[in-house]
Amino acid sequence: MKFKAFFTSDGVNLLDKRFLPALDKLGRLCHMYLTRDHAMFLHNLFAADGVQSVAQFKKEILFRDYRISSQNDDRIAFAIDPALLHRALRSALTIQLQSGDDTAAIQIKLVKKLPAGSRNPAPFLTFETKGMRSAVVQDVPISKPLSRADVLQLQTALDAAQDLPQTLVQVPDLAQLQSLVDRLKNVGDVLTVAITQYGDLHLHVSTSLITVGSEFRELRVLGVHANAPASEQNLSALSRTAMAIQRDEAQSVQVSMKHLAKSLQCHSAKPDCVFYGIAPQGACLTVIFQFFIPGTRLMDKSISFHCRLPVLDSGSS
Amino acid sequence: MSSSAAAADDPPDLICHLDSIHGMVDALTSVRWKRHQDAVLELSEHGIVVIVEESGCLQAKVYLKRELFLVYEYAAEGRPRFGMSLDLFVDGLNIFSALGPATVVEIRYPGPDMELILKTVDFPNGSLYAAIRTRILDTISWDYNFEPTGNVPISFTVKSALLKEAIEDLEWPGSSIQIVLQPDPPCVTFKGDGHGELQIDFPYYASTDLLIAFQCSRQVAYWYKYKFLRATTSNIPAGVLKDNRGSKLTIGRGGMLKIQHLVSVGRPGVPHPYGDNVGQPSRIAYIEFYVKAEEEQEDAPINDS
Repeated sequence: MKFKAFFTSDGVNLLDKRFLPALDKLGRLCHMYLTRDHAMFLHNLFAADGVQSVAQFKKEILFRDYRISSQNDDRIAFAIDPALLHRALRSALTIQLQSGDDTAAIQIKLVKKLPAGSRNPAPFLTFETKGMRSAVVQDVPISKPLSRADVLQLQTALDAAQDLPQTLVQVPDLAQLQSLVDRLKNVGDVLTVAITQYGDLHLHVSTSLITVGSEFRELRVLGVHANAPASEQNLSALSRTAMAIQRDEAQSVQVSMKHLAKSLQCHSAKPDCVFYGIAPQGACLTVIFQFFIPGTRLMDKSISFHCRLPVLDSGSS
Repeated sequence: MSSSAAAADDPPDLICHLDSIHGMVDALTSVRWKRHQDAVLELSEHGIVVIVEESGCLQAKVYLKRELFLVYEYAAEGRPRFGMSLDLFVDGLNIFSALGPATVVEIRYPGPDMELILKTVDFPNGSLYAAIRTRILDTISWDYNFEPTGNVPISFTVKSALLKEAIEDLEWPGSSIQIVLQPDPPCVTFKGDGHGELQIDFPYYASTDLLIAFQCSRQVAYWYKYKFLRATTSNIPAGVLKDNRGSKLTIGRGGMLKIQHLVSVGRPGVPHPYGDNVGQPSRIAYIEFYVKAEEEQEDAPINDS
C-alpha cells in the first residue's frame, strides 16, 4: 500500500482557507478516502445518527505527481482528525512561505514508523516541506488503513449517499440562515423543514409554549418545479405548506436543530451556491454546496461537497 | 370558519410595529436575572408594561411607551394583563434580529388561541412569525406601594456602569448589603457584611463624575439582600452601559429601594415619526426595580416615620 503526492498551491489554499475549517467543525474524526482519480473527506458515513458529509476533489485540483497503489483496486482509506491535518498543513505552508522559494514543495505520503516511546510501528500521514536550505517533516497520526471489507462498505455508503432530491431550492443568504438557526436553537431542539416545488423553504419549530416559523419564498428551484396556486397566496405559510404537501408538491421532514446548525458550519468552506432538498421518501435533508470555477459563474465539477442530515421522523412523507 | 371570521371583525387588543428589536431585547434582558422567568404584560393606550418579580421582595418593571413603536393601535377596554415566559419573549424577539437591522416586527395580541403573535412586516420574499403562549394570571402581583419620604425624596444618581461595578465588587462579602446616605458630608456608602466586610463610599464632592445627583436631608441606612441588589444591575447588556447613562436610586418609606435605569430603544441614525431626531429623546425604555429592605436589622434608622 503506497501513497504519495505533492500539493498544488490551489490545493493547499482550498484545504487551508476553506475546507479544513469546515470539516473540522463537522467532527473531530473523518475518513480520508483516496482512489486513482479522487481524494475524499467523509464524515459519519458509517453512523446513522450524525450529519454525513462528503467532500470530493478530483486529484488534479489538490495534487500533482499523485502516486497511489494498493491491492484493493488502488483504494486507500483511513481515519484522520481534520484539526491535526489542518495544523500540519498550516505549518508546512508557513515553512514554504518563509523559505521564500517557489520550488519549496509540500509532499504528503503514507508511512509507517515507530512513534517515540513505542515499540509498535504506527501509520502516519507525513508532510515533508523541502526548501533550498531546510526540510521539515511532520507526522499526522492516522488510523490503521481500512480493510478491504471496510473500504467496500465505505464505497457502498458513499454510493448510497449520492441520490439527489427531486427538488432543490437555493438559499441565497447562508449567513442569514445561520444567524436565524443560532437564535432558533434557544427555542426548541427539533426543526421541521418543508420544501415546495414552488421554491419555498419553510422552517418551523413548535413546542408547547412557542411556535416559530420562517419562510423563504421565490427561491431558485433545480429539478422538479411547479407554479404556486394563485388562490393560496394570502394564506399563512403553515397552511400553504400543508396544502402543497397534500398535492404532493412539497415534502417535509423533521431534523435536529443541532444537526442543522452543524451543517451550516460548512459555510466556512465559502461555497458559491447552496441548495436544500429532501431526498426521495424523506430519507434525509440534503444540503448541496456548489463552487464556481474562479472568475466565472460556471460550476466547478472537480469539487463536490454535500451534507446529509438524518431525519428524526418521516413527517409528511 | 365562523369563529375566525368573527374574530377578524373585532380588532385585536393591540397591534404595534417595532423597528428597534435590538433595543427592546436590551431593555427586556436587563430584567432577566435568571432562567425560566415569568413575566406579566400589561397593555394600555400608553404602552406596554412588562413586570417581573421574585419572592415578594424584588420587582422589575419595563415601561415601553407607545412612542417607542412605529405603529401603536390599541383597541381594548380596561388594561389587559396576561402572563408569559420572559425567556420566550426575549428569545422570540431576538430571532427577528437575525434578519438584519431594518426588520420591522408586528406585535399583536391576542392571536386565535390567546397567544402573543410576532411577525415580520413587509419582509421581501418571505416571512418570520412566532406565536408565544400566554396564560391567565391566577395571582395578583404584589403591589409595590412606593411612597417617597418627605417632600424631598432621598435619592442619588450614579452612572449605571459604576453602580454595576460597585455591586459586583460587593459579591465576596455576600449575604446582605447596607446602603447608607448621609447629608453631612454628603456621601453614599455601600457596606457588605457576610464572610467579611467591604465598604464602598461615593463621596459627593470627590468627583463630579461619581454622583451625578444627590438628595438627602437626613441620614438613612437600610439593609438589602445581596442577590436582589445584584439582580438590579447584573443583566444590563454591555451595549447599554456604553451609553453612559445614569441610574437613579430612591429610598422610600420603610426602606423600599427604587432603582431606575434608562435603555435606548432607538435605531441609531434613523429618524422616527414621534421623536425629534436629535438623540431621539423619546425613544427610551424606562426600567424600574423595587427592592424591599430587610427587616429587623439592628441599625435600622430610628426616625423613619
